[in-house]
Amino acid sequence: MAVLSAADQVAVTSSYTRLVCERREAVPIRKAELRAAITAVDAWADSNQASFNSAIPLPARTSLTARQKAEILLFVIRRRWELS
Amino acid sequence: MASGDTLLVLGPQQGQPPATNYATLDSRNNQLVLDFDDTTEESTYFSGVLPRNYGGGGITATLWWMATSATSGDVKAGVSFERHQDSVDDLDADGFGSEQTGTITAPATSGTTKAMAIASTNGAQIDSIAAGETFRLKVARKAADGADTMTGDAELLAVELKET
Repeated sequence: MAVLSAADQVAVTSSYTRLVCERREAVPIRKAELRAAITAVDAWADSNQASFNSAIPLPARTSLTARQKAEILLFVIRRRWELS
Repeated sequence: MASGDTLLVLGPQQGQPPATNYATLDSRNNQLVLDFDDTTEESTYFSGVLPRNYGGGGITATLWWMATSATSGDVKAGVSFERHQDSVDDLDADGFGSEQTGTITAPATSGTTKAMAIASTNGAQIDSIAAGETFRLKVARKAADGADTMTGDAELLAVELKET
């Protein structure tokens, strides 16, 4: 899977912005700086796919689909950071 | 009327949304505001009657903003006027004068207000509105402009029109 397209990165930026706005949570960075952060996180996720996959033990590594493994990562991150 | 005197004060509840990309009503601590997005340019219209004591000068629109969450970055906004001259202007089509813009930096504390004054000179920039005529004022956040760098919504609390 390649990095997100520019349009997708804008969509992620907008979604995240909407979330923090709804919480009225302080955002001490500018739009371009937030966009750069999202671009960098996406690039990191893209370049570390193999490392993530190899961290999953067998038989889950080979039996689960890529989407299922991504969902596991999502659920773990949600729980670790108490995200809703 | 003397220069500097207030002509009109407009609140969020008076905003009239366009068909698309409109600023949305929101409240902050029970105070009504209009939210302007940081990615898509959004706008709203205000209608009014220019007071009879308007003396023919320019008009400065002061926009009172808050940042929903940002504590840095700049907001760029634009205002434009549309005259409704009796038996002349057909309101079926827009007829705004040229947009004038202003920029302010977000306050260091989210929730505090900051005033952005945008001056339009008398004549074409205010579409030559005369005293006693109805008009529209368009307010837009120039979210796609490179000078608009503030993350998150900009909340419009009030608009003051004063003669300059």
